[in-house]
Order: sequence, then C-alpha cells, then structure tokens
Amino acid sequence: MKGQIQVIGCKSCTEIPQLIDMNKLIEKASTMDLVVSTVLVGAVCDSKSIKQVVQEAKEREVDRVVVLACPKKVVNPALLAAFKKAKVNEFLVEYVNIRDEVVLPHMDDPPRAQAKAETMMVAALQKVMGLKPLETLKEQMRTRNVVVLGGGASGRKAAETAAKTGAHTIIIEKGTKSFKAPGVLMQNSVLLKSKGYGGNFVLTIRAGEKVEELQCAAIVVATGGGWTRLNGPLAKACKSALPLYELDEQIRAGKKMEGPIVIVDSPDPAGKSMQVRDYAWDESLELAIELKRRSTDSDITIVFQEMRAFGLSELRYKEAAELGVRFIRYDATGIPKIDPKEPNVVSVKDLAQGETIRLRFGTLAFASIPANDDNEGIADTLRIPMSPDGGIRHGSIQRGPVSTPRPGIFICGSALFPKTKDIAEEEGMVAGELAGEFASKGIIEYGGSVAEVTQEKCSACLTCIRTCPYEAPFIGIANKAEIRTQACQGCGMCVGICPSKAIELRNCTDDIIMQETKTMLRGDF
Amino acid sequence: MIVAKRKPLGEIADMIAPYKKITVIGCRSCVAICLAGGEKEVKMLVSALKVKNKKEGRKQQFEALVVERQCEKEWIQEVEDKILDSDLVLSMACSLGAQTIGDNYPHKLAFPALNTGIFGVPEEQGVWSEKCVGCGNCIIHTTGGICPIARCAKSMLNGPCGGSSDGHCEVNLEIDCAWYAIHERLKLQNRLELIEQVSAPKDWSTSHSGGRRTYVREDAKLTQHQKKGKGAVR
Repeated sequence: MKGQIQVIGCKSCTEIPQLIDMNKLIEKASTMDLVVSTVLVGAVCDSKSIKQVVQEAKEREVDRVVVLACPKKVVNPALLAAFKKAKVNEFLVEYVNIRDEVVLPHMDDPPRAQAKAETMMVAALQKVMGLKPLETLKEQMRTRNVVVLGGGASGRKAAETAAKTGAHTIIIEKGTKSFKAPGVLMQNSVLLKSKGYGGNFVLTIRAGEKVEELQCAAIVVATGGGWTRLNGPLAKACKSALPLYELDEQIRAGKKMEGPIVIVDSPDPAGKSMQVRDYAWDESLELAIELKRRSTDSDITIVFQEMRAFGLSELRYKEAAELGVRFIRYDATGIPKIDPKEPNVVSVKDLAQGETIRLRFGTLAFASIPANDDNEGIADTLRIPMSPDGGIRHGSIQRGPVSTPRPGIFICGSALFPKTKDIAEEEGMVAGELAGEFASKGIIEYGGSVAEVTQEKCSACLTCIRTCPYEAPFIGIANKAEIRTQACQGCGMCVGICPSKAIELRNCTDDIIMQETKTMLRGDF
Repeated sequence: MIVAKRKPLGEIADMIAPYKKITVIGCRSCVAICLAGGEKEVKMLVSALKVKNKKEGRKQQFEALVVERQCEKEWIQEVEDKILDSDLVLSMACSLGAQTIGDNYPHKLAFPALNTGIFGVPEEQGVWSEKCVGCGNCIIHTTGGICPIARCAKSMLNGPCGGSSDGHCEVNLEIDCAWYAIHERLKLQNRLELIEQVSAPKDWSTSHSGGRRTYVREDAKLTQHQKKGKGAVR
C-alpha cells in the first residue's frame, strides 16, 4: 500500500459553512503528508458528488480516504460502493463526524470549532494510515423465507410487499384470527428463540402445541398492537378516552372535539406506565397550541407529573402557557382520579396549590400509552436494542427508519411507536420490500471490521460468550474462543471485556485508538 | 477456581511507594478468568498507578507482563530477566503466584496486588460463590452434593441449626442455609433418609489446622536420573 490519501469535505449540512471554513480546512489538508487529492463537494451523499470524488480518486491513484461530513451511518453507502468499484478498499475510508462532534457542540464558538475540526482531521489522517485493508467473505443464504412477526395492519402489508419481491413469506400471529395472506400464516404462534444471523436465521416457533424450527433469510418485526390499548383506571372509568395521536388525527380531520379538553400523562397514573415519552409531550404542546390558535376560548388543561419538554420544546411550553393552556402538576400524593359515578370529572391534587381540583371535561386524552408488552421479549429474543420509550430502536432516521442495527431484521408499525393505521401500513410496505430485497440477494457478505481472537492469549474463560449479544463467540476445537464472523456485528463488547486482551476488533485496535487520543489531546481547542 | 479481588488502588500505591522500578505480573489462569489479574487488569492497574503518580508528582517506572500460570516456576522463568531487573515485583496473581516468585527469587521483593479469596464458582458473569474450603476429606456424596463445611456458616455436619429460617441463614439473610438446600436436594433425589443419619465428628487432620499441607504423588515424582536429564530443578 502506497499511502495516497484523498480528503473529501462536505458542505451539505448548512451549519458547516457558517460555523467553520471548510475551504480553509481542505487547504490545510492539501499541505499534509501523503495527501494527493482534496475535494470539496456540495453533498457527499449526492450521486453527482460521488462521481466527482471517485473520478478524482481514480486519476490520483488514491488508496485511502478521509471524509469530513456527518456521521458514518448517515453518509450514503453508495459512496462506499463507488469506492469499492474504483478498487479503494472500503475499510480504508475513514469518517470525521464534523456535524455531531464539531458543529453541534461548538455552535457558539467558531474559532474553537475550526481548531477542533482541524485536529480531528489530522487524527483521521494518521489513523487512516494505520488501517489495514480488510476483506469481506460471502456465504450462500439457505432459504428465501421472510418471517413477519405479527399479522396486524403493518405485518400484513409487509408480507404482501415481501411476497411481491419473490420471497416466501411466513406470518407468525399470536392470535387465532384468520385472514388472507400470501405464503404461510401461522396462527396461535409465538417466537421462542432465534439463532444465526442476517440471511441465515433459525427461529424456534411455538405453533399451538408444537415447537418447530424455521429457517429464514430476513425478519420483519410488526408487533405492537398493544400501543392502542388503553389500560388503567382512568381509561376504564371514561370509555370515550382517546390516545393522544387519535385526538390529533381527529382534530386534523376537522372534527370538532367537545370541550373542555383534558390531557393526562397516563391512563394509569399510579402504575408502571408512569414514564411519559418525550415525543408525547412535544405532541401535547403542539396540539394545545394548535387548538388555542383555532379558537382562543377553547378550554385545555394538561395534567402531568413531569413535563419533559426539552431543548427548543421549552419554548412551546412557554407559548402554550401564554396562550392560556392550563398546566396542572401532581405527584404520587394526589394522582388524578375519575369517580365512576361522575365519568366526566377528573379530580387531581394540584401540587402548586396543594388542593384537589375537579376538572369537568368533554374530551379526555392520554399523552402516554403503555408500550406493547411483547416488545421487550421480542427485542431480547432477536437481540435488537429497545428505545427508552418501550419501542424497538430503529436505525438512522434518514437512512434506515425501518431497519434495526442487525442486518436482515426490519421493523415497522407500532413496534416503533404509536401511529395511525395508514402510516403503519406504509411502514409495513417499506419494511416488507426491504426484507424481500435482502432475502433475494441470496448471498450474505460478512467480515470486515469484526472481532478476532489471538488464541495463544485466550484463557477460555467464557466471558466473551456470556457477553456477546449476537452469540458470535464460541469455544472451538482447540478449546479456545473463536468468532463466528457471520454473526459478529463489530460492536466491540467482547474486546472491551476480555480479561486476557485476547480479542481485537480489526481496524479498531488499542494502538489506533491511543494514537487518535494522543493527537486529539495535543489539539489546541 | 481460585477467586481473587484487586486491593484498593490507594493500598497498592502506598505499598509500592518506596520503589522506583516495578514489574507488574499478571496470570492467565484463575485470576484472569475471575477478572482480577489478567492482561486487561494488569494494564488497567498500571494506567491507574501512572495517573495517580502524575497527579501526586511521584516518579515510578512500570512494566506490565502476564504469564501463563504464575504458580509454576517454569512459567516465571520466562520473565526472569524482568524480575531480576526490577526493584519490586507486584504480583497480580493469587497469593500462590506471588509466593512462587518470592520462593524462586528470595532476594527480590514480590508484593501482592490482589487479595486471594475463595475457591469459587461463577454463578453468573461477575458473581462468584464459595463452595469448597479444601478440607481434604470430601463428604458431599452424603449431603446431596452440597458442601456443608463451605456453605454452612458454622460448618455443621448435622444440620440445620436453630437459626435457619425460610431457607436462609441467621448470619446473613442473603446467604442460603446450606442444610435447607441439602434437605431439598436429598428430597429431590429420594434420599431423604440420609438427613436423619448422624455424622460422627469429622477427621480434621486433613484440613489446614495441622499446618502447611503437602500433597505427594510418589509415582509421579521424577527419579534423580530423570531430573538430571531435564535439568528442571534449579
């Protein structure tokens, strides 16, 4: 490897040019050792720019690349694909996350931002020289099955679109209701266990009394109907109570809601579902402001235990208060209650006054709705992370809103967060299509930046096996740990915990990190 | 396995304070597995000591090493030059490791960085519990496979005592009563009659109370001739 580096600067995120001088940064890059090409493009995720940088890379015989842009996961994989085509090893492309690490934290201090960006660039240039070109390997998928967990609105759509791509679909439905679906519909079935990795999963399913194993290439998680259930004493006492998003939907559809409107943070204020989702507060405030704007004499009260309107949402809190939205805060000593004899009055002890207030309402809505109880179990079985608000966490909102961190597992509908049926269906269509497309590749590409065991150092202590969320490590024939490369997601958990330091993540070694840290610490910012 | 725990950083720093050139030696066996003295812990301790020294303006030179089994002299010999070249060896093995270094290089100092604790079993990642105290005369075939010597606070042979309640020990409610566990296990194995058998006082001569114990396997020992050939003994 000669070490001919290309530095790419991206102007796309509009904050960047205002805060830091990308031209200066790129100019500085051109004076650095081994840098043979510098390009400043409008948006590195745009196909024209990609063409331009790759063309330049080819002309200058570039073999390593440093990209100054937004987070790695957001930058279009098309860039990597283009470099791969131009014979630049994709693992020698290093990203500097200018947006998250420079622009956002240092918005008020341009000189500091510039200095930090420069130091980060220098560190990346050193790092990219320490990287090794890695290879990816290929494995044949054993089936083209796509398993859809959940036969609700989004699940059915997912199965339909996946089937259109040529995949064989299997819907696993907990309930016993029958409906028309492509492929196989397994009613009264639950997911028990999962093994394997994207492309070659083996799921253990309990179907009725039987337990069977099912091979599949991709999985769509479409569970989560539980979001719309309103459990709790308040919801039971008031039959007409609505989840917030339904109220929102009805108001936007032009329906006149009967006033006064009371929004309470939970249908079960004394129960476990106390945790109110942040977006629910944003939505409550937005809705209250909207209603007040439409008609100033509308009577709106928000009853809450903790207002989680963070950041710029605080301004909305202020605006709502100024518009005359009433806020009543309570705590465990005086939770909101509805007396069944008076189903349209909620009584709550106002924390500020210390007195119990009776609120007569025409419409009652709940900001927080308990998450589907199945989510946690399914996330655990499939080893995908949960979001703090009880849904399953999706990937980058720009690039993978229905993807999960595990390749081959997609997610849609209310398993993410509560939403209306039409949106759930649309998400189902996208997730189904992606899953079908994933399965139709027929080949799994794996390897790259994955964990690797130095067997001489391994004490076979089993710590990695207990720690890995993906079941990648195993004890091999030599009685030492080995990594099932196909399953490894390169997360580095085993590397961090190995007491014998026998495991390393390729291209993310201690030496590389120490070098980077030293450079960053020397930086003047 | 032998389970150990690292001493607090302050205690280690005080212990090694007078010495300039320090070799920290870990062990890849039990203490690596119980996350106390493997390569990672050695490197972390050295980093922590360096940070502390920098903060407090003290100058010391550290070398971080790990050997396969510190309780065997052949493995220690692999790092002999480092041991001889230092003012102090800080052993991150169990006490056996530190003592092996001390016995083999009696003019050198070998200090312990770990507190050696128990013969333990990992119940889950990060949790070890004591199940044997090495009394030298195993009886668990009569107690449902559960050792009352190690697992009962009073090492009772005919239990439980009057302090057992709801399966817990009176010493600490977090400890399970060994004899309750033995009763349940024997019941499960349809051998409950064993609990009624009175055990005579145990022969404790095999235990530690008689001073240092040595285990000898005459048939496994090398002959003078073999020893000469190998040159294994210093």
